[in-house]
Amino acid sequence: MVENITWETDMDAALARAHAEQKPVLLDFFNPG
Amino acid sequence: MDAVTYPVDKVISFINENMIPLRVPFDTQPLSTDFNIKWTPSLITLDPDGKEHHRTVGFLAPQELIPSLLLGIGKSYFETDRFDEALASLDKLLGEYPKSDSTPEAVYLRGVCRYKSTHDPKPLKAAYEQLEAEHPASEWTKRAYPYRLL
Repeated sequence: MVENITWETDMDAALARAHAEQKPVLLDFFNPG
Repeated sequence: MDAVTYPVDKVISFINENMIPLRVPFDTQPLSTDFNIKWTPSLITLDPDGKEHHRTVGFLAPQELIPSLLLGIGKSYFETDRFDEALASLDKLLGEYPKSDSTPEAVYLRGVCRYKSTHDPKPLKAAYEQLEAEHPASEWTKRAYPYRLL
C-alpha cells in the first residue's frame, strides 16, 4: 500500500541513510508558502 | 509538485524505493547558499557524500519527474565511475520513458558510458545515429554530431 513520500528533513540524516542504503539523495528545495 | 506530481502512486513508489528523499524550505541555511538556490522547486540529485550530479528547476509532471530522476541517478553513478549502475538506470529510463524530455540526454550519456566502460567508440556513433533518427531537434543530437565520423 503506497502512502506518501517519506521525506527526511535533515541533510546529515539523509546522507547517513544514503550511505547505509547505497542510494542517491533527492534534495527538494520548496516554497512552503 | 504537492498538488499534482508527488501524490501519484508511481512517483511515491519510485522515490521511496530508489532514493533518499530530503525536503527543506528554500531559505534553509546554510543549504540554500551552499546550493545557490534562487527559485523553487529546485530538485537536486546528490551522491551519498552530498555531491551534486543533476538539477532541475521548475515544475515537472509525473511522467517527466521519474525519467528526470532516473537521469539524475544515472549521472550520479556515471560521474563516480560506476558505469554498470549508470547503464542500468539509463536503460530503465530509455525502456520505460522513450518520449520524455530527459530521453535525448540519456541516449547521449548511455553512449558515453558504454564507450568509457569498453573503450570501443562504436556506442558513441550509435548514440548519434539514434539521436538523429529519434530526436533530430535535440541539443544532444548537436552535441553528438562529431561522433558520426567514428
